[in-house]
Amino acid sequence: MTLPVELLIALLVWGTLVGIDLVSLPQMMIARPLVAGTIAGAILGDIPTGLKLGVIFELLQYDILPVGAVRYPEYGPATVAAVATAHASAGVLGLGLGALVGLVTGLIGGITINVLRRVNSRIVHAAAAALESGDPSALVRVHVGGLLRDAARAAIVTATGLFFAWLARPLLAGALTARGATLLAVAAIAAALAAGAAGTLRLVGRGPNLAWFAAGLGGGLLVAWLR
Amino acid sequence: MKLALARALLRLFAVQGSYNYERMLGVGVGVAEEPLLRDLGEAQYRPAVARGAHFFNAHPYLIGLAVGAAARAEHDGASPHQVERLREALCGPLGSVGDRLVWAGWLPFLSGLTLVAIALGAGWMSVAAFLIVYNVGHVALRWWALRAGWTHGARVSVALHNPFLQRASAVLAPAMAFTIGAALPLTTQYLAWPFEAGARITFAIVAGLAFLALRWPGGAGHLNGLRLALGLAALALVVALIWP
Repeated sequence: MTLPVELLIALLVWGTLVGIDLVSLPQMMIARPLVAGTIAGAILGDIPTGLKLGVIFELLQYDILPVGAVRYPEYGPATVAAVATAHASAGVLGLGLGALVGLVTGLIGGITINVLRRVNSRIVHAAAAALESGDPSALVRVHVGGLLRDAARAAIVTATGLFFAWLARPLLAGALTARGATLLAVAAIAAALAAGAAGTLRLVGRGPNLAWFAAGLGGGLLVAWLR
Repeated sequence: MKLALARALLRLFAVQGSYNYERMLGVGVGVAEEPLLRDLGEAQYRPAVARGAHFFNAHPYLIGLAVGAAARAEHDGASPHQVERLREALCGPLGSVGDRLVWAGWLPFLSGLTLVAIALGAGWMSVAAFLIVYNVGHVALRWWALRAGWTHGARVSVALHNPFLQRASAVLAPAMAFTIGAALPLTTQYLAWPFEAGARITFAIVAGLAFLALRWPGGAGHLNGLRLALGLAALALVVALIWP
């Protein structure tokens, strides 16, 4: 991947904003892969690739229900890195390499979220006396510190993803035949669809909503067949 | 007080900024509540700010209910014990109502609709529509929660039994199930079209086996979408490199 510096900076800024949006600020869902991927595609002048990678990672996102202190992968910056990878390699090869880079970045993103929460816990613990005194400036200081650390974390994850995107083409593209590239893309997309279906069924449960899911599935199959 | 409520609302957008395993969202809740406590006397202000930053966890969009209710209770002269009890009592219900309404309803419903629209060729416009429509609901819910908490104070459970919340959850759950059900085959078609016939058959077999692996009762808790996708991608890569 060889991109102009201004595009790399734009992707880094966008990935950072996406990473902050996931938990810290303002949770307006630019962190959803559909949005993160489409805007990353627009930055690169390649919206169709952004949409396609966005759809793949959106399906993987259905596997996650962010309740309580559950740990989960971070697919926002991952999708940005995936789109950057796919943009550099045309067609099925781009999809496969993009998905691979995105999956690894998503895993790293999830680990960093957990590390950040542990670091925040130590800082909050250390500031307990100031917080118990009701000092508003101490309260704001601890909180803003958390926000800034999350911004740094999101920037590091995005930069790591973009680094993988830069490495992927010289390392893998030349070594893969057309059949190998197709196999990689098939594996990643099939896993995303399976994760989307399994996650949705977990959410739907065995109650009356299962009938609605079946009705939607039937309707979708009919429309797909008619097209 | 309108200015204080507006400040609290703005701060609520960053309520998870210092998420941690010790107080969860407590520090963020304290920061959001602080503007509403400024007109308390000095003797009440600092202890109230300290209480606001104690452990708290709930759905981020509905936390305004707790922020408003606790601040109102402080103004109404509730004892520290009563304020703490109020906060404790709100954690569970605000979490479960918010999770059902937003994470398991509004968000996947709109996401499913967007997937359908993209698969049918609507392109980036559908993503823009998702962002706008989702956030109309998002901002409205945050504002309603803060206002309702501030209005009802310690009797905030009245707001949680709001018929609109109950009806919205009841409608969104089947709507979500239907739209994602419809989105899955259409998305499959959208993603599979670059592949040739042989690859499509492989695609269907791998997707089917992966789905069974994820739904396998023994795999629950160990296997998730990311692990499975990484495993399959790594396997595909190895096969592609040794069998070109």
